[in-house]
Amino acid sequence: MSENAKNISFCSLPDQLSCLLERTEKLLKPFTCRSPPAFSPWFPISTAAHRLPIRPAKPAPVITSGDFLADDPKSNKDPLFMDRDASPIRRSWSVFTQRRVLLQNPQSLSRQFDHMVSVHGLHLRQRAKWVITQDNCGDIEKVWRSLSRSVQSSRLPTCNANIQRERAEIWVFCDLLYSEQVGRHLKDELKLVGRVSLSVHKLGNIFSM
Amino acid sequence: MTTLTRQDLNFGQVVADILCEFLEVAIHLILYVREVYPSGIFQKKKKYNVPVQMSCHPGLNQYIQDTLHCIKPLIEKNDAEKVVVVIMDKEHHPVERFVFEISQPPVVSISAETLLSHVEQLLRAFILKISVCDAVLNNNPPGCSFTVLVHTREAATRNMEKVQVIKDFPWIVADEQEVQMKESRLIPLKSMTSDIVKVSLKLWKVLTRPVLCVLLNYLVVSYSNTSAFFVHLSQMQLYVEERAQKT
Repeated sequence: MSENAKNISFCSLPDQLSCLLERTEKLLKPFTCRSPPAFSPWFPISTAAHRLPIRPAKPAPVITSGDFLADDPKSNKDPLFMDRDASPIRRSWSVFTQRRVLLQNPQSLSRQFDHMVSVHGLHLRQRAKWVITQDNCGDIEKVWRSLSRSVQSSRLPTCNANIQRERAEIWVFCDLLYSEQVGRHLKDELKLVGRVSLSVHKLGNIFSM
Repeated sequence: MTTLTRQDLNFGQVVADILCEFLEVAIHLILYVREVYPSGIFQKKKKYNVPVQMSCHPGLNQYIQDTLHCIKPLIEKNDAEKVVVVIMDKEHHPVERFVFEISQPPVVSISAETLLSHVEQLLRAFILKISVCDAVLNNNPPGCSFTVLVHTREAATRNMEKVQVIKDFPWIVADEQEVQMKESRLIPLKSMTSDIVKVSLKLWKVLTRPVLCVLLNYLVVSYSNTSAFFVHLSQMQLYVEERAQKT
């Protein structure tokens, strides 16, 4: 007879049961397992698999859409151009946001403009450029600010505008189809004086207003 | 057909010029398509005879140009193995990786396929693929940023001097966190083979938590039998891989 059996036989019946239960619990306990140590290779690891790439230390600039749409002309700091170094740069371009408004039907072209288009064999979706110089306005920065507002509020269809500060010029790009309408808007809204000229790639100046 | 080594006609420089020009267009387009930046800063332009979206933001353009200017010497010497455009979430965890694998043959055979027009035609296909890749992808979380990683053929530290060509544009070794992507899927987008260079573009997209949870819940509920569960899981994996290869 084993020692365990002897112990059980000497106990009373309730004690025997509790002993049995205790013993069963002990037997049902999971075996203690030794957790294996983490594998560390004894051979040289292939450098190709563990080679990390390189990247620029400087992060890419952050531009948010909120900054892009909220353009406060009174503020000197333009948030659109503020990168992580928070260095404000004066805005030098403006883009027509087509998403916010549907393109209106273009106004009909004048006979003179229509003739010019047919003479040069131009396509109406071709891009053309209005050039506003210092001679057309007193303060080119002031004109630029009001022009930027017009472009961003989608009042100048298909327009992208660009200020060339070193040349003291503003370039307004648009489709030829809308160029006459844009030209009239520029003259009236921006109160330009003198004549503004319209040019296309390769041909140069083709029209003035 | 004429056979030339890489040193003849300075092919490395020619390849670097072509690839950097292509990578610039591709990076701009990826940033537009994956909405890393507001669409208002992009303008439609024409490259490789197809419309592409290029940023007008001077800060961003400068950053991309500086990055590529630094990568160029590595491509020229055939030291760059992969150029990866990584899109990261707010916590700087990668959510998408556009991997451009580049390999250049040691010997170049001159044929009609070496013509720049032919190479550009092949590169155009990449641009077209990138411009439509959003169709198979779900939207990225808001506030994403990007970085460009360069995997070199040798240890990165050996190539550090080669990339430090711009004084104010230092390079560092990337963190493991920026490279590793858990639970991602692979979408091969395009590959090209020409006489002077081979390029392949693969997209790694992280699987979003809700998609994974829904998938696992469905499988656990559907299968009380464990072996059936694993059989179905492996079948699904094969199906996903097949789909990825087709796309």
